[in-house]
Amino acid sequence: MNRLFRTLLKPFSAFFEGHARTHYRMERHSIALTIGIIIAAGVGGFVEIAPLFTIDETVEKVSDMRVYTPLEQAGRDIYVREACYTCHSQMIRTLRDEVERYGPYSLAVESKYDHPMLWGSKRTGPDLARLGDKFSDDWHVRHLIDPRDVVPESVMPQYAFLARTSLETASLPGRLEALRTVGVPYTDEMIANASLDALGQTRPDREQADGVVERYGEATHVRNFDDQPDRLTEMDALVAYLQVLGKLTTLPDQIKIVAEE
Amino acid sequence: MVSRLTETERATAILISLLGLAIGLLMAVLGHGDPMGAHGWVVMAFCGVMIWLVVSHLYDPEPTEDRSASYYDDPTRVGIILALVWGVIAMGMGVWVAAQLAWPNLRFDAAWSSFGRLRPLHTSGVIFGFGGNALIATSYHVMQRTSRARIAGQLSPWFVLFGYNLFCIIAATGYLMGVTQSKEYAEPEWYADLWLVVVWVVYFVMYIRTLQRRNEPHIYVANWYYLAFILVVAMLHIINNLAVPASFFGAKSYSLFSGVQDAMTQWWYGHNAVAFFLTSGFLGMLYYFLPRRAERPIYSYRLSILSFWGIVFFYMWAGSHHLHYTALPYWVQTLGMTFSVMLLVPSWASAGNALMTLNGAWHKVRDDATLRFMMTAAVFYGLSTFEGSFMAVRQVNALSHYTDWTVGHVHAGAMGWVALISFGSIYAVTPLLFRRERMYSAAAVEWHFWLALAGTVIYVFAMWNSGIIQGLMWRTYNESGTLRYSFVDSLVAMHPYYIARAFGGLLFLIGAAIALWNVVMTIRHVPAERRAFDHPTDSEALEPAVPAAE
Amino acid sequence: MSVKERDPLTGHQTTGHEWDGITELNTRVPRAVWWAVGLTHLWAVIVWVLLPTWPLVTTYTKGLLGLTDRGEVDAAIVQANAARADWADPVLAMPVDEIRADDALIGRVRQTGHSLFGDNCAGCHGRDARGGPGFPNLIDGDWLWGGDPDTIIETLNVGINSTHPDTRTSQMMAFGRDGMLTRPQILSVIGHIRALSRTDAAPSADNPAGAEIYADNCASCHGDDGRGMEEIGAPNLTDNQWIYGGDDDSVYRTIWGGRQGWMPSWQGRLSPTEIKILTTYLLDAGAQ
Ligand code: HEC
Ligand code: HEC
Ligand code: HEC
Ligand code: HEM
Ligand code: HEM
Ligand SMILES: [Ca+2]
Ligand SMILES: [Ca+2]
Ligand SMILES: [Cu+2]
Repeated sequence: MNRLFRTLLKPFSAFFEGHARTHYRMERHSIALTIGIIIAAGVGGFVEIAPLFTIDETVEKVSDMRVYTPLEQAGRDIYVREACYTCHSQMIRTLRDEVERYGPYSLAVESKYDHPMLWGSKRTGPDLARLGDKFSDDWHVRHLIDPRDVVPESVMPQYAFLARTSLETASLPGRLEALRTVGVPYTDEMIANASLDALGQTRPDREQADGVVERYGEATHVRNFDDQPDRLTEMDALVAYLQVLGKLTTLPDQIKIVAEE
Repeated sequence: MVSRLTETERATAILISLLGLAIGLLMAVLGHGDPMGAHGWVVMAFCGVMIWLVVSHLYDPEPTEDRSASYYDDPTRVGIILALVWGVIAMGMGVWVAAQLAWPNLRFDAAWSSFGRLRPLHTSGVIFGFGGNALIATSYHVMQRTSRARIAGQLSPWFVLFGYNLFCIIAATGYLMGVTQSKEYAEPEWYADLWLVVVWVVYFVMYIRTLQRRNEPHIYVANWYYLAFILVVAMLHIINNLAVPASFFGAKSYSLFSGVQDAMTQWWYGHNAVAFFLTSGFLGMLYYFLPRRAERPIYSYRLSILSFWGIVFFYMWAGSHHLHYTALPYWVQTLGMTFSVMLLVPSWASAGNALMTLNGAWHKVRDDATLRFMMTAAVFYGLSTFEGSFMAVRQVNALSHYTDWTVGHVHAGAMGWVALISFGSIYAVTPLLFRRERMYSAAAVEWHFWLALAGTVIYVFAMWNSGIIQGLMWRTYNESGTLRYSFVDSLVAMHPYYIARAFGGLLFLIGAAIALWNVVMTIRHVPAERRAFDHPTDSEALEPAVPAAE
Repeated sequence: MSVKERDPLTGHQTTGHEWDGITELNTRVPRAVWWAVGLTHLWAVIVWVLLPTWPLVTTYTKGLLGLTDRGEVDAAIVQANAARADWADPVLAMPVDEIRADDALIGRVRQTGHSLFGDNCAGCHGRDARGGPGFPNLIDGDWLWGGDPDTIIETLNVGINSTHPDTRTSQMMAFGRDGMLTRPQILSVIGHIRALSRTDAAPSADNPAGAEIYADNCASCHGDDGRGMEEIGAPNLTDNQWIYGGDDDSVYRTIWGGRQGWMPSWQGRLSPTEIKILTTYLLDAGAQ
């Protein structure tokens, strides 16, 4: 065994001996060293990242995948701003216990329009990938104002200021436009109406709401999320986003049903 | 500082700062009402201080001596102090966020003090503020000594050091205002990212020019590592931060990639931030300060070659171990796992090379706390890379991912390796830089060592416990074959460990504060030492034939 | 500078350079390292052959084992479901009373119910299911919509005021805010509600105004005697169990501003078996 191994390793060792000689000469040239480092370090990333764009099955094809409404996107931006990803993942792994606790595992297509993705790397709090419709708006508002009001054991920070802060909507067309540049299929009409649609989504009894449903689909939640009918707040936006998590496509549920049969 | 510059150089410094001031003003005006506007004011204040620094000494006499005959240590001196200041602040933030997880109401009723905003302040503060400054400062020192040449440029070392700190300040103040891209370890927004590219290019050019004017035929190993650090960080930084701003008058941007591709790019970056920021550069430090302090030859030149190229090549494939069982395709996960395990060999080879170098100097390790810092760092480096390779195996990662086990691994590496080697190097370099006989208090170094070691051990053990308990609770089944614990059950079980972690962190923080104090006292109160010979000389180096292996 | 020296301690030769006092030995790479290189590479190659690994522009090598991560978890779940079938099927099929009489089965329900309730319901109803302000107590034997198992299962399936198309709907209107009752009127109807829960007094005798307001506005939902109406989810006002709090202030706020609780629908998110388990779990816990 030992013999076999030694024979097997011999070429390695011989190569290395030769390499050491070359190296001895190379290490006198800073540019050679630079080029060597760039090449050696370049390979890995290229081989792992480039094919993710060329292999078709990487991202599932679905027809019912919808984009975030302006209000939801604004909420997502708040989620980013508050760095909720430091405690919450949005990625249910393909493991039995995760599927049983949180629901069908996350699919690549579900974060297709997520710039950036918010899969997270730490679960101080639970996964949020299938959060949509799991709680009431009212619960979210109370939970965000003071998590320990509803979950006494929680260590999540209070976000009471969200309910006091008006949502800035003027920049929404610009934000949607930028998202279109990076590949989210927003139409001109969606971009032009972005600010109005953000308001409309929280005004079910006004006609502005119709435009939202028309542009983003029947399933869009049109509600006054934060229970302050006369104001559009950051709380509205964040809750609207939380309520749509996992709801952009029905594919995960279809896969789940097929798998169980 | 300024008196070492010629008048032209002073004028150029002022010009550059004025340019910065103008950019700051532009940001403040165009970004009015947006956090970017606030950052404009930060930039202006920073450049204002720079201008004031120069102008207040504008008419000092010009240097008369031949500057190329000596090393340029002023920037290193400032960098060391900056590193320690950032270290104390950012580790203080670490203790605060650790305490928040144990007692969530330990904060102000204000947005800036929430966990999500302070945690990146801690991570960036320690990695970029503390680690980055230590790397830049020591790299200046090491590149000059091992090249026997003065650093290339009078202004560029300052430009890199201060420019880099401006980046850190923009990052840190940005987090408090909620300016973040939510990309771990790359959180700063687009304009900060752009600025860092400028700084980094200057850094690279300066490094390579210094190497080119060296008076040694061979480039020493430490420089390979620093060079890899500079080059690869540039590559990672640029690609992972590709983004489209929502408006050029505001901070918000959207990353170019989305979903899976974004995840893979992010963790290609994230993992190699570990490799090339938190490992490669610090190995450079290790390779210089450890043999110097131990006064022993490096155990094996050949092992250095093997570990260096192994690290540069294998690390870059390992990023996908952060995405096991996710929506990232299986094939990438397999690559990440296998390369992480193969990576263990070069990692251990460098730790082993360092420890074997100490053969014949173990009595010094016993007596000299500074060398003990370096030795312990090498041990923790070995430990955390072993742990990392283990956690990179899919089945292990199924348990460890998302839990405190990862945080424990991080801090075994970050506190045990990165911080300890930095402290060791700082203690070794401070008397050299300031021409002092010794550190002000050897006892304080000793105290710091034990506080740091105790803090690290408490922290890491607490997190191993909590992480493994957490991971197990999430997947424990009862006899009925259904989940035994709810999520909140696991949260409740974490509480005692979070308290222990905060305590361990506090010890570590006290140690860091002692280090800052000790360095300041050394500068102020220790008698100067006349150095006989500490400047570049002409090379008399002969080129030996390639020696045969022993 | 370039003198090859022999290190007296190890006997190895240096490479001949010196940088700022640092020299290097030219020691051979220890054999153990080559072993480690060999073993890890061998292992990696075996893994590459067995599992999906190398990208090939538009596809990738699938590996001899033919594994996919989704296939693995799907299989694990199918297997888990099969392993649980011996008790889960009876729980789904049997009436709640019989499950509760069967020690083995109710043991399963209690075990499973803990985390199922903890992960899905405890956020609102509390870890002990005793509710809290705004969320009803589920183990006090007092039910808004009725306490028989089928009703509870239906409540869980469709939710209350939820997004489910067949949701139960219930609403307590905002009598004060919408101008139907004035402040004194609300105060007096509160007096009447207080009296309703007392058995000793005849409610209408000492507060005829309150009684009248109650009869005109509230009785249609909460019943003449205030004992609620399960068909529309109107709570019993006489039992000292309050969703939104029983102090004068809370009750005033309820009547002034109205209430509309929102209970999610669990159909789809939880399986019929899980919903049955939760129902049994609650009825069992309530009976203890
Ligand atoms: C310090 C860590 C921390 C931060 C930061 C944090 N959370 Fe949490 N979160 C938790 C913990 C712990 C829980 C579990 C206890 C609870 O429900 O409050 C939780 C629970 C939740 C839940 C309930 C999920 C469920 O299924 O039970 C939601 C929704 C949520 N968080 C949203 C957010 C949002 C949005 C943010 C950012 C604005 C945020 N969290 C920031 C720790 C955190
Ligand atoms: C978003 C918060 C929320 C969650 C999560 C929730 N509930 Fe509820 N639930 C409510 C509210 C609010 C009501 C009362 C509705 C009303 O006032 O009309 C309610 C009512 C009920 C009722 C009817 C009580 C009665 O007296 O008829 C049952 C049964 C129930 N919940 C069980 C559950 C179970 C089981 C779960 C978990 C699977 C759950 N709930 C999760 C908020 C919630
Ligand atoms: C249209 C039907 C309807 C009418 C009329 C009505 N209620 Fe209600 N009431 C409800 C419902 C449904 C609820 C439960 C709301 C919930 O839980 O979300 C409720 C809840 C309440 C509660 C809170 C109970 C608790 O446990 O906290 C009080 C108090 C109450 N009603 C009093 C009154 C009084 C007094 C009047 C007349 C002035 C009245 N209601 C008229 C339907 C009605
Ligand atoms: C005073 C000592 C320290 C304390 C108390 C401390 C505390 C913390 C805490 C509480 C977290 C958040 C963990 C979580 O989210 O659960 C954290 C994360 C982190 N810290 Fe520290 N830390 C300390 C020192 C350091 C040092 C010296 C470094 C680096 C050089 C470092 C690097 C990091 C990194 C990279 C993370 C992110 C880990 C991850 O996302 O997995 N820390 N630290
Ligand atoms: C052979 C070397 C190493 C390997 C293979 C390795 C592997 C890993 C793995 C598998 C994870 C967990 C990923 C997850 O589940 O999310 C991780 C996380 C991490 N490691 Fe290492 N590690 C190595 C060395 C180091 C060193 C030396 C440090 C030094 C500081 C370090 C810092 C980190 C950090 C900061 C994270 C957290 C990333 C996050 O935010 O999630 N690692 N590493
Ligand atoms: Ca992390
Ligand atoms: Ca960035
Ligand atoms: Cu990694």
